[in-house]
Amino acid sequence: MAYKEKKTIIMIVTGIAVLTAYCYYSFGCSTAATDTDAILKQQAITMLKFIGIGIVAMIVIQILFHILYSISLAIASQIKTGNCDDKDIEKMIELEVVEDERDKIIELKSLRVGFTFAGIGFISALVWIVMDGSAAYLLNIIFISFSLGSILEGFTRLYYYSR
Amino acid sequence: MKNKCTISNKIREHRFFANEMTQQQLAEKTGVSRQTIIAIEAGKYSPSLELAFKIANAFDVKIDQVFSFKVEVNQKD
Repeated sequence: MAYKEKKTIIMIVTGIAVLTAYCYYSFGCSTAATDTDAILKQQAITMLKFIGIGIVAMIVIQILFHILYSISLAIASQIKTGNCDDKDIEKMIELEVVEDERDKIIELKSLRVGFTFAGIGFISALVWIVMDGSAAYLLNIIFISFSLGSILEGFTRLYYYSR
Repeated sequence: MKNKCTISNKIREHRFFANEMTQQQLAEKTGVSRQTIIAIEAGKYSPSLELAFKIANAFDVKIDQVFSFKVEVNQKD
């Protein structure tokens, strides 16, 4: 499995973890607010918190993954050739992380799938409001659809890499 | 009537004649990842014109000696 596939799996796992934590937090805590504005404000605060948590988690996990991947490459090189030269390791990593035209095409295709899903979720949220649904679920539907869209984007990327 | 276009390549053959050049070496020469070379060689991905020229240059041959384009006419449709 190539570096990019492993990185995508890490991103998917992080996305699922953040989404699960959001659902647990959002649906778990009961709100005391009764009017729509207060509910929306509370939901927006929760969403902003989790967007921040998601971004930080993604960055930290990617840095950790890159470090661990470099260490594993160094160990593999040590076992295979008997020497562990920094320059060789750097070159190996550079060759693995190089982004070429195929990666860009795969990224565009998977982004399209992700945004389509997120768009469907957004329209569903609007339909929900038109059908007199609770405002408390409006932002939840949007957040979950965007998160699921991002996860689906990862799976699409994996599909195109493995094809 | 639908026409099916296929791009075939002789990368494996050219790698063999270039002192059994590895996919990694070809990837380094053309500035792409080894996975991309694998996908092109297996016919799963059609490279851009620029990359096709780079691959041909890596073997020091003309582009039509590496890549060929075929149009299969489907009479059924």
